[in-house]
Amino acid sequence: MIYEIVHTTVYDYDGRASFARCQLHLEPATRDGQRVLAHALEISPKPVESTRSRDFFGNLSVNLAFAEPHQTLTIRAVSTVEAAPGRPAPMLSEPWEAVRAAAAGSQDLGSSSPVHGLFGARHTPVSEEAAAYAAVSFAPGRPTVEAVSDLMRRIHADFAYDPRATEVSTPVAEVLASRRGVCQDFAHLMIAGLRSLGLPALYVSGYLRTVPPPGAEALVGADATHAWVSAWCGAGLGWIGFDPTNAILAGEDHVILAVGRDYADVAPSSGVVLSSAGHTLSVSVDVRPV
Amino acid sequence: MSTTAPLPAHTDRAPALLAGYRPLPGIRDELVDEAGRLRPHWRPVLERLVGDPEEVERAFALADRHQRDSGVYYRVYDEGESRERTWPLSHVPLVIPDAEWSAIAAGLVERAELLDALLRDIYGPGRLAGDGALPAALAAGSPDFLRPMVGLPNPGSRRLQVYAADLGRGPDGRWWVLGDRAQAPSGMGYALENRVALSRALPELYGAMNVRRLAPFFQTWRSALAAQAGREASRICLLTPGPLNETYFEHAYLSRYLGFLLVEGGDLTVRDGAVFVRTIAGLKRVDVLVRRLDAEFADPVELEHSSQIGVPGLVEAVRAGKVVLANPLGAGVLESRALLGFLPSLARKVLGRDLSLPNIATWWCGQPAEREHVRAHIETLAIAPAFSARPGWPLAPEPTPGFELDAQARARLDALLERRPFDVVGQEVVRLSTMPVWRDGRLEPRPFTLRAYVAATENGWEVLPGGFCRVSGSADARALSMQLGDRSADVWITAGEPVEEVTLLPSPAQPAIRRVTGYLPSRAAENLFWLGRYLERAEATVRVVRCLAGLLVESNEAAGPAREAVGRLCDLLLAWGAAAPASGPGAPAIIDQALRSSFSAGSVLRLLGEARRTASVTRDRLSTDAVRALADLAALFEHEGVSVTPAESLDLADQALRVMAAFSGLVQENMNRLSGWRFLEIGRRIERGVLTGRCVRRLAGLEADPASLDALLEITDSQITYRSRYLMGALRLPVVDLVALDDGNPRAVAFQVARIQDHLAALSNLPTHAALDLPQKIALQLATTLRVTDVQDLGHDDILAVENRLMELSTEITARFFAQTPPPAEERA
Repeated sequence: MIYEIVHTTVYDYDGRASFARCQLHLEPATRDGQRVLAHALEISPKPVESTRSRDFFGNLSVNLAFAEPHQTLTIRAVSTVEAAPGRPAPMLSEPWEAVRAAAAGSQDLGSSSPVHGLFGARHTPVSEEAAAYAAVSFAPGRPTVEAVSDLMRRIHADFAYDPRATEVSTPVAEVLASRRGVCQDFAHLMIAGLRSLGLPALYVSGYLRTVPPPGAEALVGADATHAWVSAWCGAGLGWIGFDPTNAILAGEDHVILAVGRDYADVAPSSGVVLSSAGHTLSVSVDVRPV
Repeated sequence: MSTTAPLPAHTDRAPALLAGYRPLPGIRDELVDEAGRLRPHWRPVLERLVGDPEEVERAFALADRHQRDSGVYYRVYDEGESRERTWPLSHVPLVIPDAEWSAIAAGLVERAELLDALLRDIYGPGRLAGDGALPAALAAGSPDFLRPMVGLPNPGSRRLQVYAADLGRGPDGRWWVLGDRAQAPSGMGYALENRVALSRALPELYGAMNVRRLAPFFQTWRSALAAQAGREASRICLLTPGPLNETYFEHAYLSRYLGFLLVEGGDLTVRDGAVFVRTIAGLKRVDVLVRRLDAEFADPVELEHSSQIGVPGLVEAVRAGKVVLANPLGAGVLESRALLGFLPSLARKVLGRDLSLPNIATWWCGQPAEREHVRAHIETLAIAPAFSARPGWPLAPEPTPGFELDAQARARLDALLERRPFDVVGQEVVRLSTMPVWRDGRLEPRPFTLRAYVAATENGWEVLPGGFCRVSGSADARALSMQLGDRSADVWITAGEPVEEVTLLPSPAQPAIRRVTGYLPSRAAENLFWLGRYLERAEATVRVVRCLAGLLVESNEAAGPAREAVGRLCDLLLAWGAAAPASGPGAPAIIDQALRSSFSAGSVLRLLGEARRTASVTRDRLSTDAVRALADLAALFEHEGVSVTPAESLDLADQALRVMAAFSGLVQENMNRLSGWRFLEIGRRIERGVLTGRCVRRLAGLEADPASLDALLEITDSQITYRSRYLMGALRLPVVDLVALDDGNPRAVAFQVARIQDHLAALSNLPTHAALDLPQKIALQLATTLRVTDVQDLGHDDILAVENRLMELSTEITARFFAQTPPPAEERA
């Protein structure tokens, strides 16, 4: 399945922004079975500096600097991507305890190593509470994929999708208590739960197709950037995408934008602005099959 | 060497001093051996201490006063509040003979070599992980494993630039490394300051013991940093988190000592991959950053997004290879406790030999066998986070002996060892050796640790001969922290023969003569400007108070010729906010409030508080004596609540003016005529011009009585000039001419404007500005106005207009020179 994705970000400053520096994660990479056929970035005003690089996790990032005073910053990313074909959940996987031991004993420090998914980060601190919630799915000896899928389904069942309940900075502990949130919160919660049990998990930001196939219901989280979880299921299976917001494995409806330890690693745009006043941010995402 | 020590008069006290000294059972002591005999290298120290006890106390008091006066402090945080605390110096130095130190130094160099190799591998090819020599989870688990830094170019052959090790001596007499420091090791500045204080307190002893000097290390390190810049005139900055950091004093002290520019994140900006400092002359390139800011907070764009103290784009500058950081971002990965468990085997693999300076035994529970060892020996081991404690670590963040864990903590630890064993280490419990401290005329043994420093140079590693010694406050020491009220001691490495004399006073490391020491950061300029303004306002307030108190002491307030002048002076103090209208009836209450109230924002007490605050953030630019004078000044006013008579206030005002004169003298005589001094001066001149204008309007209006005119002459210190010119009593027009228009009178408004013009002209000689800038235009207009106005035409409104124009000048100077550094408004996606 091939998609054309238009991702538009607009910052409106209340005053004038005199200098700004930011980093974008808006260009998908060819990876994990997906292929990027075209990509273009339109930015207004024109940045004085623009540097594209590939980060540790293989994501493509662009660093920008703006010197011209401006009141509005518009970033439009247009990508054409062939999504990875969906694959069924593997029937067989190692017991989760074996996967845990293998991750801790890994001899690989490279970017695909499970060790990078083991440790807490700003949005995904390990905690006894997250461990306790996740542990219900992890009976001794249970195959890893089955246990992780169960955790995913429990989050989908236990938590209400509610965009007004949380914001970017809402901690996992609060989401766990209120049982509400959005895709980002569910991904962070699931990651915190897995890591608290000693299992490697990473955060994936990306897109979902907006228009469902005829007769199917639209998936939740399609009109903005989406987020899900990549869990390491042992040396043989490697990293597998789990979408707790929709209780499905990541498949041909999902386009990967960037992978990191949590949202902060892969925020579509992050940075600083020299400005006296606040700003409003509006984002629109359109994902269409072509 | 003991033969060169001066023989004391009271040698018979030596046995008594030693007899009262009782080392702890089973613990090694530095001063005496197992049999209680004095170790020979300590003999000169002991002989010095057995002198007249009062004389010894006096010498130590000298050291304390030096520390206090030079403003050596660190910041302590308790219950959400932070305050500055003077540095507690333990007066007895730690003595280590040169021969013993050489072995320690060699061991430190070996460790530096190993850690540098690890750092290069972790951020480079990652071979040690692939070989199984270093578990990947151990590197990846550190919060200081900064992924944006992986694979970046490394200017120079080494990554590690400065390394510190916390050392302790075990019961067997061997030195052990308790922990490695590579993030941004602190304490070198305190070590220097301890040395200055103690060598002044005990000069003969210091000279006689041939103590190795610290200065050559710093000179070598400075040259090594400069050499890496790859430019002829390199600019080195010390990046501090700012004045709220607990060791800010040290940052200021070191940068002044080494001749580096002290900068905060907001002073720096990245353009086209290079780092620049914002100065009063525009952006200037920075080649080397000595980093005292934790890496995590160093760049809000690519590291911690919420950091307000970093430099946006710094990681990009590193990626572009256009700046050298000492230490590089990510070096903190070497500080993980878990790493200590692997250094012995890594040393054999990487260096091909065992470490001669070993670290304490450490078991990383990320490996099954080690985890079982820790479980089995938990009663005799200390339990600690494998990396620095993250949110979610369920136990105490510092090493805790296993036997101290209660049932609940044990249960949490067991769960952690099951789920995330790689977060835990077990370490052997350390029993530190003791050294003597002086208490109430006696010596007592106290456990201590020693932080030692190593710097990378072109010719290998350089070790600081000495270090930063922390002495526990109690006899039982497992955890040592300065925050908990411990003391620090100087460390004397004693050579067998006289050492080469090298001064500790600031001296250029390079032989080239330089007249210009670089550009002034805008933030420092602004602070000096405000220091000038606050000080001048405080001085003017004291002058008015002194005049008022004098009138009250001489005459009866209620009646007599001074009545009107008293009223006008009170109005003046109320009008500029020195005292509040509700301060109570009568002039004495207003006087008291103007001097010492903590409630009115314009009281001398409050103004001096502001002056000290601005001085404390520009400590690197003021002389020690000037800082001391400010401390003395503030101390005069810190007795709120005691009611005083006008006569006492008069005396206080006199004292204060004397100290202020001393400060002005120090600034005039000792501060280099660089731009920093000019901004301090401009601040003073603007404030003096405005306040003199106000005095003229209040005291020399059309209705002014002779006593008020006399008061104006006194406040502006112009009586002598007036009397020598006019052989008559104070008359309005001559007085106004003298204090407003006469540009030969150092206190006249016109004189202030002329000086401001001079300073602005000198500042604009800085390159890139040809035409008059706005501040210069305003100053010129003001000077012209004052020049062409006849005194009989100078009315109330004209003076007010001059004051307003001066305030405008202040605003324009701010815009012209300082405005580049608004605290960046942080916006996050």
